[in-house]
Amino acid sequence: MFDFPIFDMPMFGHRFIFAFDAIVHVFISHGAAVGGSIVLVLAQRLAIKNNDQKFDDLAYKVLFTLFILATAVGALTGIGIWIHANIINPAAIGALLRVFFWKWFVEWIVFNVEMVFLLMWFLSWKNRPLGTPAKQSHYRLGVAYAVASWLTMAIITAILGFMMTPGNWLRSDFPARPDYIAALMNPSWIPSLGFRTFFAVAWASAICMLLTWFFTRNDEETRVKGIRFFGKILAACVPLFLLFGYWYYLQFPAQAKELFVIGAITRRLAGNPQLATYLTLGLAALGLLGALTLYANPKRAPLVAAVIMLVGTSGLIGEFERVREFVRKPYIIYSYMYANGVRVIDMPLLERDGYLKYAQFVPPEFRQVSANGDNKLKVGEYIYKMECRYCHTVNGINAITARVKGWNEETIDNRIGSLHATVTPFMPPFAGNVAERQALSAYLYDLSSQQR
Amino acid sequence: MHFNMLPNDIPLPIPTWGMDSVLMPVFLILLVVSFVVHMVFINVLLGASLASVYFNRKGAMEKNPVFDRVAYLLTTPVTISENMGALWGVAPLLLVSVLFTPLFYAAAIMNSPQWLHIIYGNVAAFLFSYLYKFTWHKLENRKPLHIMIGSASVILFFTLPLVFMSTVQLYWTPTTWTYNTHFWDALLRPDTFFRLVHFFLAAFAVTGLFMMLYGKHKQKSADATDAEAGTILLRTGKSWFALPTVLNLFAGPLALFQEPSYGIEAFFSAGYHWLIVLSVVIALICLYLVIRDFLNDHVSSGRVWTVAGLMAVTILSMATLRHGMRMSLIGPALAQAKAQSEQFQKDSYEARTAPKPAPAIAADAPVGKQLAEKNGCLACHAEDKRLVGPAYKEVAARGYTADKIVALVKQPVPADWPDYQPPMPPMPQVPEADVRQIADWINGLK
Repeated sequence: MFDFPIFDMPMFGHRFIFAFDAIVHVFISHGAAVGGSIVLVLAQRLAIKNNDQKFDDLAYKVLFTLFILATAVGALTGIGIWIHANIINPAAIGALLRVFFWKWFVEWIVFNVEMVFLLMWFLSWKNRPLGTPAKQSHYRLGVAYAVASWLTMAIITAILGFMMTPGNWLRSDFPARPDYIAALMNPSWIPSLGFRTFFAVAWASAICMLLTWFFTRNDEETRVKGIRFFGKILAACVPLFLLFGYWYYLQFPAQAKELFVIGAITRRLAGNPQLATYLTLGLAALGLLGALTLYANPKRAPLVAAVIMLVGTSGLIGEFERVREFVRKPYIIYSYMYANGVRVIDMPLLERDGYLKYAQFVPPEFRQVSANGDNKLKVGEYIYKMECRYCHTVNGINAITARVKGWNEETIDNRIGSLHATVTPFMPPFAGNVAERQALSAYLYDLSSQQR
Repeated sequence: MHFNMLPNDIPLPIPTWGMDSVLMPVFLILLVVSFVVHMVFINVLLGASLASVYFNRKGAMEKNPVFDRVAYLLTTPVTISENMGALWGVAPLLLVSVLFTPLFYAAAIMNSPQWLHIIYGNVAAFLFSYLYKFTWHKLENRKPLHIMIGSASVILFFTLPLVFMSTVQLYWTPTTWTYNTHFWDALLRPDTFFRLVHFFLAAFAVTGLFMMLYGKHKQKSADATDAEAGTILLRTGKSWFALPTVLNLFAGPLALFQEPSYGIEAFFSAGYHWLIVLSVVIALICLYLVIRDFLNDHVSSGRVWTVAGLMAVTILSMATLRHGMRMSLIGPALAQAKAQSEQFQKDSYEARTAPKPAPAIAADAPVGKQLAEKNGCLACHAEDKRLVGPAYKEVAARGYTADKIVALVKQPVPADWPDYQPPMPPMPQVPEADVRQIADWINGLK
């Protein structure tokens, strides 16, 4: 965004560091908190019903692991999404916060409830023995934790849904008058919430199966019980998340649906769309193969079965999140703001006045190409840093030098003039005036010719 | 006053549903109160985690199980305050991000990537602190290792305020921004330095208060070791409270007078300095109450709770005057950011409603050319010169049939054009009818 300072992340680029934090958060929050709480409450219920001390102990050991993951990694990487967003795309997260402030505030209150019940449930587990009335009320702590945990997901999913399918949320763009209710009730919220809920429970069950394998090395009887119990939950969730997933898919904008294949694989491979199918089915098959092996014979199944299952399921989650992020392009908030933080409606102004005219953190001598053109490369560099760095790095991941390799300046300029074209429908159009576009072309040409 | 570099405010209203006069004060009260809760937890986290490692080492060196017990007891408030501290940091983060967006985000970006340390450094600190707590009995005979694990978490926790404080101080002082301001500039400035000193001393004082309360509670324990540990906590708490509080009487003014003068003047003319007087008077009374019974291990619970209650007033008053200083410093900048944003939105509205210029390709151009433009072919091809791909005249020279061109658009054969990079990607989304007209146009270019 033109009016904020420039943050450089060489080699890795912005996308990578954001994706790293976000994917860790998804794995942990879905597995250890939202899904994990539901699965473990069910496990504790079974232990109470059968008065089964060993099963109760197993559930506690799993909770211990998930507690550490959820509080140390899950919660902090969740806050980390804000922290990454505020340095990478301040205009976008700033807009989301203004629209979703109250929902986020409610989420924070629910987050408090979640954390307090989690601490109480976890810290008092051992002091509430099976077969006492105290255990019953202890179980209710777990239920409260699970409900609160799910509610935090429900609210955040509304925001993610909004970014993809904002609906009719802006009653007037000047002066800006958002419709907060319409933003919340956006079309993909409920389907995506159902989808995420069931895949979170399925993913948590898979993690619990792996942990059960570890914690019952000397107790085959409990291992059979544990793996079969978690396995049944996993099996029950698969058709449900497929169903919700299809409903969710129907909500995507047509333009986004066209990007599914590129999102699932890469542009280079998109000529063979069947590869996307193979990849998805392959990951699902890995997950299923591991789960079935464990379920069929918990006593004999090797650790590698559990690991394969986890690789398959986490691969599917990773692929889903990548596709979801990718198909939203070229927007960060659909039809409102491009991925590089420029509002769609501001394009004519930037084309008329120039992008750098509004660049508060660019020294004034570089806000315009000078009459003799001696600052052209520097101007181009600033344009690159403010518009392109959201997705590209100079030489690292998604390197811009590799994109323009072998092109002359005119070719680069022509290409930048039609970025949002059929060949790269996921790229936002260039924002700025003709002189700035030529400065950017000159800079990129200079970069690539230095490498020859 | 004018600020040379200032982002525009976000072009969306602050969500008050038009009730600014009612909800803005609510936002600010929520901000100050949630910040106080956050700070108290963080203070206890810093102090108690350090004290735990200190007593762990002392117990191991002197072979005294009571010190070991004190150290172990302190891990529970660490677990609670690290979680609750992070949790109660979310509310102020949310409010600051919504209310002071352009300033706070600009400062966070200038302080990056170091700003990310508050996530990754925090995750590492949490993991070390859990490891420290949950291996207490397993590592009983390997104390050096155990103390090292504890120290790692303490060191990491103590680095986090450096990052927070430099960002906070930077967003409070937009007059100090330059085109090259970076984390280390902000951290090593005297204003940030004295605020950090003031903060760390306060963290010890608040932990001291907490240890006095915790110690009184543990003294009542039936277990003899716990009761003795309670006495040690009480004694330590008194000195941790008293000394830093005295030092802060000096650090406070040093921090205050490092702020830019326009802010100090606005602060005084708004009357916030009376809160300083109030805070200092109460702190002095508390100092007197603690020092009077400094060597008395049986000071009454009532006395300790009185001090805690009085100090709660001081803390609230300090947080309010801190807010006063913030608003004195950033008030003018916020107003400017808002005015800039309104002007920008107005200009943007004019630009997008102005009459549109003629399209790049004239309406009387050949249909095939218009379709080539519409479908984005001209991003890479031109009629008569090489761009990313070959000139259409060269394509025409190969004499492809229309059917062949349709097939090539769906599945290009880069091997036929080895001199061109990168290879043309498949574009099945271009309608076949369009491709046929484009092909006719290309083949007419011979």
